[in-house]
Amino acid sequence: MKQKKLYQIFAVILILGLLIGACASAPAAEPVEEEAAPVEEAAPAEEEAEAEEAVMEPVTFQVFYPVAVDAPIAAILNGYIEEFQAEYPYITVEPVFSGGYGDVQTAISTTIDGGGEPPALGVMLATALYDLINADYIAPLDGYVAGMENGDAYEADFLPAFLANSYYDDQLWSIPFQRSAVVLYYNVDMFAAAGLEPPTSWETWAEAAQALTVQEGDATNWGLQFPSGWPYWLFQPLAIGNGQNILNDDCTVVFDDPSVIEAVQFYNDLSAVYGAMPAGVQSAWPTAATDFSSGSTAMVVHTSGSLTGILAQAEFEVGVMAMPGKEAGTSASVPGGGNFYIMKGAAQEQQDAAWKFVEFVSRPEYVADYSINTGYVASRTSAYDTEAMLAYVAEVPQALATRDALQFAGAELTTQNLGQVRGIFHDYIQRAFNGEMTPADAMAAAQVEADAALADFCP
Amino acid sequence: MQASRKSIKPLPYILIFPTAVFVALFTAWPVLLSIYQSFFRQRMNIAKFREPTFVGWGNYVDLFTDPYFIEVIKNTLSYILGTVPFSIILGFLFALLVNRKVRGIGFFRLAFFHPMVLPMVSAATIWLFFFTPDYGLFNSTLRFLGYTGPENWTGNPNLALLSVVIVAIWKNSGYYMVFYLAGLQNLPSDVYEAAALDGANGWQTLWRITFPLLRRTTLFITIIAFIDSFRTVDHIFVLTSGGPSRSSTVLLFELWLERFEYQDIGASAAITVIFVVILLAFTVTNFITSDRREA
Repeated sequence: MKQKKLYQIFAVILILGLLIGACASAPAAEPVEEEAAPVEEAAPAEEEAEAEEAVMEPVTFQVFYPVAVDAPIAAILNGYIEEFQAEYPYITVEPVFSGGYGDVQTAISTTIDGGGEPPALGVMLATALYDLINADYIAPLDGYVAGMENGDAYEADFLPAFLANSYYDDQLWSIPFQRSAVVLYYNVDMFAAAGLEPPTSWETWAEAAQALTVQEGDATNWGLQFPSGWPYWLFQPLAIGNGQNILNDDCTVVFDDPSVIEAVQFYNDLSAVYGAMPAGVQSAWPTAATDFSSGSTAMVVHTSGSLTGILAQAEFEVGVMAMPGKEAGTSASVPGGGNFYIMKGAAQEQQDAAWKFVEFVSRPEYVADYSINTGYVASRTSAYDTEAMLAYVAEVPQALATRDALQFAGAELTTQNLGQVRGIFHDYIQRAFNGEMTPADAMAAAQVEADAALADFCP
Repeated sequence: MQASRKSIKPLPYILIFPTAVFVALFTAWPVLLSIYQSFFRQRMNIAKFREPTFVGWGNYVDLFTDPYFIEVIKNTLSYILGTVPFSIILGFLFALLVNRKVRGIGFFRLAFFHPMVLPMVSAATIWLFFFTPDYGLFNSTLRFLGYTGPENWTGNPNLALLSVVIVAIWKNSGYYMVFYLAGLQNLPSDVYEAAALDGANGWQTLWRITFPLLRRTTLFITIIAFIDSFRTVDHIFVLTSGGPSRSSTVLLFELWLERFEYQDIGASAAITVIFVVILLAFTVTNFITSDRREA
């Protein structure tokens, strides 16, 4: 009796175990099968799509999004989703907060590589473009734009600096969403007290920073902080301001050009020659912004995304401008931030619904609202003509300065094999910042390694 | 009855079955899959290498001929040698300190233990502010003690690894203290009485009696400390991102870079295998040596 019962329990456990096994073995399937899976599911869905369109079958899709700034992104997005669902009652949007930008991309890529069905929509870095295309994760959006009433006008309305990261092979792959730019924040009161004008060239910039650096007991109140713990982004405007961006296209990086080397040298000179900022790598991204808003640092190079936080804390007039270029009167900046991508592994009707959502939140009034509430730069020109935005910039004129900085922007470092190329650049530029190598040697070595890292990708 | 007793008893196997299934699925199978994948070149971000192609030992050869990977191995060794002995010694000293009957001792035990309760990411974020040059608490304290060296802890290539080691020691020693404390309180009092009768001084008691009696605790703590030092990378993400110039990149951080930044599945599988081999070798050696000592 006892034994029989035990065997029955054993059988139940065995069945349970097999069930778990069946569920768990799906993500571990062979890569070859993984690729086939989404296609199999997509094909019948496509046929059904047309039929469903007419009767508006309910459809649910997920959007994976990151939180990368100090703003209540989740609450804001939920509000948009409610309004979207009121307009499209047959669509349900499930927002999934997934950490930082890297975490969103990791979550989506492991889902797809593991043979699972990805979310239809994701907010990922604009620079992730080539990695996402090469891995065959995302779908082009030209068809959707062409299907719009005035698709060309829609596309042309986005700020060119932002949309530049969306094209590859003459196709459109992403829609700008939460975008930012590198800007220089300066303490207007300190400048006025010292009788200084906002800088217009490298020289006047360095001199102003030097004049505003004050020793106070043990601590130094720096004239300038220029974080370089994750250096490529903030550094790019220095190179652009000297007439040479660090990349030409997705297959060609320009690290060892004399103008780029000179830009590295200028960064070092700001501490070594002018004594106007901390020496070496400044891994001070969060503290630099608070040092500025508390008034202990006169200028800081940072993301436009910090504007809301800095304005909330600062008890002085905050100036915002593009970074000065080397020659008098020149300026430079570089865009950053995240775009909407539609995953081709999702069912067709989910992709279609996801596009409707993208179209919805990229309406000028929503773009303006998102910018006002988060500090991101509004990505569409027409957003600046909305009533809400006009009222906002009347109160916070600095918000216009971030947009204006983008006129001087070059392309953000976006290449094939981005992770590796960026890693190489970081490695060597930090050696130059820390004085382990001369700028010329460091950039030459970075060029050699980056070229090798790109060789497999570019014919 | 006699016959059935001699036949295989099903109960132990039934009881162990669920665990065996989970170990097989979530431990053995991923390891086998990694071993398999480590012999293939597969890069998700290169269209022509998206399908795996067999390369034999290629991934391993690439890794061990890359001076940068050798650097990562060296960093990992420095990290282990920096964290494991120091956090164990500190844990032991803390345990001795708080193992007395004094009013309010609970507060001090809590003070030593609280870093363990904090999540690593929040602990690292707090330390990021401690490490701030000029006014950071860590630097102010050091300056008060007469320190005049460089203060840019997380941005200096010679200090970045040390700064993540410091955070790890601060975080772990309180945890190891708890094990030592439990061990200390279970020690028999008669040996101490005998030692006192024989006129042993404090140092002799500590070194000849307390420490040897805690051998098993020390062995256990060494194992978890060693494994911990391989597993923790959260604070590296927050404090240094493996930099500057990769000077604080350790093996697990490198694994993350290869898999998710470089999208190199073959290389990341090879690192996983290296990882498993090291941990397995360590654990097996420990089992063998500890068994021998018991016998």
